[in-house]
Amino acid sequence: MQAQLPGPWSPLLGRLTLDQIPYQVPILQWTFAGVVVIGLAVVFCVLYFRKAGYLWREWLTTVDHKKIGVMYIVVGLVMLFRGFVDGLMMRTQQVLANGPNAPGIMGAQHGFLPPYHFDQVYSAHGTIMILFAATPILTGFQNIVVPLQIGARDMAFPYMNALSLWLTTAGAALVMLSLFVGDFSAAGWVGLIPLTELPFSPGTGVDYWMWAIQISSVGTTLNAINMITTIVEMRAPGMSWFRLPVFSWTTLSSNIIALTAFPVLGVALALLGADRYLGAHFFTAGNGGNLMLYTNLFWIWGHPEVYFLILPVFGILSEVVPTFSEKPLFGYVTMVAATFAIAGISWLVWLHHFFTMGAGPDINGFFSVATMLVGIPTGVKVFNWAFTLYRGRIHFSVPMLWALFGLFLLLAGGLTGMMLALPAINYTVHDSVFLVAHFHCMVLLVVAAAFAGVTYWFPKLFGFKLDEGWGKAFFWVFTLGTVITFAAMFALGFEGETRRLDWTFDPAWKPMLIVEEFGIMLYVVSIVCFVIMLAVSIRDRAKTRLAQPWPTARTLEWLTHTPVPFYNFAVTPQVNMRDELAWRREHGLDQAKPDRYEAIHMPSNSALPVIIGALAGVWGFAMIWRIWWLAGLSLAGIIVCVIIRSFDKNEGYYLQPEEIEAMETNLAIGAIIAEQPDRSHSSIPAEAH
Amino acid sequence: MAGAHSDPLTHPEVAQGGVLRYIAGFISTTALMGAALVVTLRHDQPYETYLGLVGGLALLALVSQAVLYYGLDISRSQIWKSVALMLTMPLFIITVGLTVWMFQSLDQRTMLMPQTMEQPTLLQ
Amino acid sequence: MAEQAAPGAQARLFYPGYAGHSQISGRTLGFWLYMLSDALLFTALFAAYAVLDTPMNAAGGPVASQIVNPIEGFWQTVVILGSVTSYSLGTVAMKSGHRAGLVWGILGAILLAIVFLGFGFGDLAALAAHGAGISRSGYLSAYWVLILTHAVHMVFGILWMLVMLAQIVRLGFNEMVVARLLNLRMFWQFQATVWVCVYVYVYMIGA
Repeated sequence: MQAQLPGPWSPLLGRLTLDQIPYQVPILQWTFAGVVVIGLAVVFCVLYFRKAGYLWREWLTTVDHKKIGVMYIVVGLVMLFRGFVDGLMMRTQQVLANGPNAPGIMGAQHGFLPPYHFDQVYSAHGTIMILFAATPILTGFQNIVVPLQIGARDMAFPYMNALSLWLTTAGAALVMLSLFVGDFSAAGWVGLIPLTELPFSPGTGVDYWMWAIQISSVGTTLNAINMITTIVEMRAPGMSWFRLPVFSWTTLSSNIIALTAFPVLGVALALLGADRYLGAHFFTAGNGGNLMLYTNLFWIWGHPEVYFLILPVFGILSEVVPTFSEKPLFGYVTMVAATFAIAGISWLVWLHHFFTMGAGPDINGFFSVATMLVGIPTGVKVFNWAFTLYRGRIHFSVPMLWALFGLFLLLAGGLTGMMLALPAINYTVHDSVFLVAHFHCMVLLVVAAAFAGVTYWFPKLFGFKLDEGWGKAFFWVFTLGTVITFAAMFALGFEGETRRLDWTFDPAWKPMLIVEEFGIMLYVVSIVCFVIMLAVSIRDRAKTRLAQPWPTARTLEWLTHTPVPFYNFAVTPQVNMRDELAWRREHGLDQAKPDRYEAIHMPSNSALPVIIGALAGVWGFAMIWRIWWLAGLSLAGIIVCVIIRSFDKNEGYYLQPEEIEAMETNLAIGAIIAEQPDRSHSSIPAEAH
Repeated sequence: MAGAHSDPLTHPEVAQGGVLRYIAGFISTTALMGAALVVTLRHDQPYETYLGLVGGLALLALVSQAVLYYGLDISRSQIWKSVALMLTMPLFIITVGLTVWMFQSLDQRTMLMPQTMEQPTLLQ
Repeated sequence: MAEQAAPGAQARLFYPGYAGHSQISGRTLGFWLYMLSDALLFTALFAAYAVLDTPMNAAGGPVASQIVNPIEGFWQTVVILGSVTSYSLGTVAMKSGHRAGLVWGILGAILLAIVFLGFGFGDLAALAAHGAGISRSGYLSAYWVLILTHAVHMVFGILWMLVMLAQIVRLGFNEMVVARLLNLRMFWQFQATVWVCVYVYVYMIGA
């Protein structure tokens, strides 16, 4: 039943042949050299400092939500960098390939990227930024912060949490692998149909795109289950719903979206897979397929996905703004209500991504009005933050700067979004870079909030603050780059530049394209600032160790020690008030210590999640290259691993009160970067079985 | 997490099961589906009435499963499942309903229906 | 907060030995959430089926009324409901820690599930033999994928039951095993629920 393949196929290696490795492309040669050098350097360092065992025991096999969160963020930042380089290449190509007489090098007629390569670059940029940068970074924050905010020791399913991480990582690894083996999809991050069908994309690019997303979205769905269960079941005593910090609320709503929206993406891609692998006719132009069905299914997921990203961002802003205004959040209840209103409406607006499909005016009208409705709860939120700032004692430290810039981006992106919600305007600027500039305001809001979160919560995990001076330099250069790039892009949209042009044929665009390129160069500088910030902060870490890095923080995650011990809370706190820490501080209770410790039950580490993640990566690779025996074998391996796990009788171990007391007095022993002795064998069974 | 280490067999979700309710679930679902089958085979109502009838019977079958088999209610052990289902239910309707609405309109406006395809039309 | 209360002398700040939630409740809730996610997956498939269930999308191939048989579908419905009832009745035996009752319930469920799958694969094989395979038309693609997705769920359910049979014998009714048995009860019931939707939508209304 296999679909007719263009090109050779062998039972042993599937479609994989030596000429699938693009060793003749100069850009990829350099990239490959870079990856090899960096990879070898990392491996060398790990071996030289004898950290391989530490890495395996404390990180790769961990089930600790904080470490998993850190790894999510590291994966996200690496992919953010990769996605940025794609963006840099696109902007540079467009400025070089401007006008009818633009010269070309390296096989391109204009600029330096031939059209097919350029198409892969923008497809990779979108896919990576949304699914492999923004999603893991935000998931990372949720992992780190939510259990601490609700006073839990871990997630509801620590082992599944690790599995989610490794599935996401496997997807990201497949995207990276497509650089060096085969190619990536050239059909846009949304998978423009019928371009993604086998006759029009005969290579493995679309398959890379498809399976990478499928594997990572299984991870995202599992994580959503975990987050929701954690928030519902594991709140500390006294943490009633209306005492829940806003970041936890937004995590809950965001994960409800993930839980319900990602299966629809899975179906859209699986049906495309049925077309490509089994010769089905879901989305083909002939034989009874329906092209718009794909677009419809994709955006049923695609629009809720936007809010899946933006809601946790609102949560981060709602934590940072009150902390650095020294005031409680204005309008907590309306903030929560607005969060859920946005989540609800997010399911009613997806057609606005394809107003030009040709549906009737009643339908376009319905979706237009629904889209504009989103502005109401979002407006509520903006005013709530503004009123929190109003007459507050504002500290312009780095997280606050990012949050304020985030508000600015939300305003710019939100108002242009309102413009795009009108079908009449939408028809005019459809697929122009005006639209691109609009949604980049929104996703850069995600980035701004991510950096706010990184600077805000970094000391919680590692015990020292990030350097304030370099942090501010990073912030200002990045901000300036953003404003310059996207102001120019809005203008280009009005000048009629459409998306995805490998050749910007109109010379009138030149000035603004140069401005854009200048803005992008500022981003390059900002990345240098970021790296220096990290290096300086680590060098000076002894100076910035503080028991309470943000003395005005309000929520429960700051109640436990900094750096946070791996068991989170020595004794589960009893919650008395919304903004518990602020309340305790006002009443002089924030230094109170529990009078006794009791044994803490902890889950044991497990190698199975990382093994299953690796097998999922192998399975994806085998499916992409149609190596059926390998796909069957790895899938069977995954099933066997799951069954093995279900027979596992390891019920974790108990941390004894003496150990806890030692770690509470010397925080370095319990910190998450410290190496722990193997406790799993010395554990005593639960006494009251 | 430590959890209450009591006998797992006393957990409310174990205790909830009952011979009578499962047999009632089986009988009611089968009977409702049988009724829907009879309505379908008789083919004597106008389409809208038929749709309403079979849809109603299907809804009853789903409700009886929710109550009798899944044991959904507002008790402490089941409340969150009920809430989660209630929150998800609109999405089932939105996803299928809006899609169908959208494509009906799209087909009318952009697709040539088979009966019109017979005639040499616009495209030829 | 304006209404901040002053802490009384008895304000409790810590809760030593807090037991947390019940392990089983957490697991069944998590699994229920997975099932809602899975339900959305079927919803998307239903949406696709609805769009592709037109004469136009049959592309000259068979339409729904030519390939489905509501009477045979009814027997499938009875069989799958029997299977979930058998499993569920087995879990009633669990209340009294009665292993044999549960094992018999599971065996009955597996047997009826195989009968159900036999019906389904018979249908699909007949369609394929008539050249009405998945690649014949857009409509048939939707039909095949909907039926096969449900069948794959059933196959995984059977596999899960076999694993549980081994666990009941080897591990007994410990907390994890009981949680899995309860999850499996929901999962298995869910297959019948989906089937009722398929039956009503594909075999009756659609035909």
